[in-house]
Amino acid sequence: MRRVGPSRTLRRVLPLLLLGVGVLLLGTPSAASAASAAPRPVVRVGTEGTYPPFSYADPKTGDLTGFDIEVIRAVAQRAGWDLKFTKGAFDSLFPALDAGRVDLLADQITINPDRSAHYLFSTPYTYSHGVIVTAADNHDITTLADLKGRTAAQSQTSNWTQVAKDAGADVKYVDGLDQAAALLAQGRVDATVNDNIAVLDYLATSGSKKIKIAGSAGNEVSKQAFAFRKSDTKLRDQANQALAALTKDGTLARISQKYFRADVTVPNSGKVEVKGSDTGRSTWQVVKDTAWPMLRGTLKGTIPLTIVSFICGLVIALAAALARLSSYRMLDVPARIYISIIRGTPLLVQLFIVFFGLPEIGIDLPSFVAACLALSLNVGGYAAEIIRASILAVPRGQFEAATTIGMDYWQSMRRIVLPQASRIAVPPLSNTLLSLVKDTSLASVVLVTELLREAQVSASVSTRFMALYCLAALYYWVICYIISLGQSALERRLGRHAA
Amino acid sequence: MTQETTPGSGSLVEVAGLEKSFGGQPVLRGVDLTVDRGTATALLGPSGSGKTTVLRSLNVLETPDRGRVRIGEAAIDFSSLSPDKGERRRAIRALRARSGMVFQAHNLFPHMTVLGNLVEGPIRVQGRPRDEAIAEARALLEQVGLSGREDAYPAQLSGGQQQRVGIARALALKPEVLLLDEPTSALDPELVGEVLAVIRDLAAQGWTLLIVTHEVRFARDVADQVLFLDGGVIVERGGPEVLRDPRQERTRRFLARMLEAG
Repeated sequence: MRRVGPSRTLRRVLPLLLLGVGVLLLGTPSAASAASAAPRPVVRVGTEGTYPPFSYADPKTGDLTGFDIEVIRAVAQRAGWDLKFTKGAFDSLFPALDAGRVDLLADQITINPDRSAHYLFSTPYTYSHGVIVTAADNHDITTLADLKGRTAAQSQTSNWTQVAKDAGADVKYVDGLDQAAALLAQGRVDATVNDNIAVLDYLATSGSKKIKIAGSAGNEVSKQAFAFRKSDTKLRDQANQALAALTKDGTLARISQKYFRADVTVPNSGKVEVKGSDTGRSTWQVVKDTAWPMLRGTLKGTIPLTIVSFICGLVIALAAALARLSSYRMLDVPARIYISIIRGTPLLVQLFIVFFGLPEIGIDLPSFVAACLALSLNVGGYAAEIIRASILAVPRGQFEAATTIGMDYWQSMRRIVLPQASRIAVPPLSNTLLSLVKDTSLASVVLVTELLREAQVSASVSTRFMALYCLAALYYWVICYIISLGQSALERRLGRHAA
Repeated sequence: MTQETTPGSGSLVEVAGLEKSFGGQPVLRGVDLTVDRGTATALLGPSGSGKTTVLRSLNVLETPDRGRVRIGEAAIDFSSLSPDKGERRRAIRALRARSGMVFQAHNLFPHMTVLGNLVEGPIRVQGRPRDEAIAEARALLEQVGLSGREDAYPAQLSGGQQQRVGIARALALKPEVLLLDEPTSALDPELVGEVLAVIRDLAAQGWTLLIVTHEVRFARDVADQVLFLDGGVIVERGGPEVLRDPRQERTRRFLARMLEAG
């Protein structure tokens, strides 16, 4: 086993380095809207990255690939766009489109009347139908009518969810097909409704004998297309022109044949054959292939998020703590309210408000910044009380002694009280930091690709949940272990004056 | 009774009509006193008599309700405080700058070395050159008998040593008057002597001292003036001979108790 503690120089340089990465990410300007007149507009594409064979990470390279990805790439080449992909859970895709964080969705978005009222759609590039999936030993469900009163696992905003609800199913919400399938196999739900092709791919990939296609979800052909904001007609028209050209020159048909041995880009494609997006890899191979993407997610997501949020959070916390200790009600009351709100609401809700709510009132922050803001505010609320208690734990006589040698409030705080309070605060603040490391996993819901998201991406293709989530747990543990080493060193240093 | 005295005429500290209540309970009920430059004054009295409150009013660690405090040319009339916050703060700082305080529990800064404790005020507050402040601090440490302990942290010193550092820290700011709040009360009996010796030394050198103490014998030896406080007023004042032959019955009783205990 290698020594975990990095060298002294590295320990000094690493935080700066990571901060640098954070600043770089912060500084990345949100890509210009495609509607601008620039010669090669950057078009931001929202996609799951966990929905094989349409949108997933290539098991060998870890790169984003899939049927929808290849189609949008071909469209971009035709239309003269540069693409920038943003991966997120299905339920965060439409909010991201609304909030202007992405310009179009390429994720087998099924056209339905509800969506057509709010979004623009390109011409369809996939024709398929829905199927009902159940556990292999379930013989009670074969048609939509049988779903009445049964539980179905669905993504919240998927159109298949509406189909299941309309059939009278009691819907439980999950992040994607892979999770729904796992729940079916475990007997926790009765059924799930999804796209025929996606299900076939899942069956081929996982080789699962525990679930089966039980029947068709109605006879209607579903059409999938790219979704745009209502105002982006120009972008949609460009996409349609490109799609028409790609149909004409056979490119779409070729991409479809590659994935399905049938042309699903036209109605009546006939029987599709799915080879499975991932077969034949051993669990060990999956783990090896995922180790680097997860490390990348750690270095580019988890660690910069943690460092930036913790530093900003401490600044906020110190201000809030001093405000709480102030005799001015104008400072004390707002600080009380802030702390109460942060501690009284779930972090996930705070993230949603910052990421999806603020754009509605015109405050539109990039993903990373939004996640940092929400996490900083959260850390600030908890750490404020720790810092306040630590300041109160410094004997009153210290403040008086500082006063009698002529110090003003700020000098007393900076030179006398805070250095002593910091020693008291290190153990509880370390707890806050360790919680923060783990809380960054929630940032994936606001489209920040971090450690856990990478694990989910890999798990969706390989279905090796146990191995991959254990690996993710190991990564978190290593980070936290290193932090706890730092805590001990800091405590020793701050406590050097004790007898 | 405000007798007008100009600085230089001898009276360095002047307190007149000082009143203070804590939660409706009067603690000081019109305290008047003067301390002449270069003299040592001992403030005695039973616990709860308000001695410490008088001392803490002189550097506004407690804000009196009424009355006037003057040290040298800095004066504050608490009966008519300026409504302007900034002006009030400036007046308090000016008054504080003229006194140094030695606490019962020394209140040394535990995260700083002995030398660090001494130079903190001169460098950070008075803005004096570092080298000069350090040289003076070393001289003060020699005076209180702690040469060579510059780099120790307070927690590594004995109680008596800590209190001697506390005295040196207060002196480092070159105050006009040194306020000592029961400087030996928190010490083990065998450590009291070394601290009293240092204070005796300061008196001999002509420092102006105002000492709240229970050490009756020490007060008799060192003090030029003795004030006896009871029930929030000064009931007895005079030279050290007052302690041999008090005029008031309660002073007599208190002294008898203290001498018995001491």
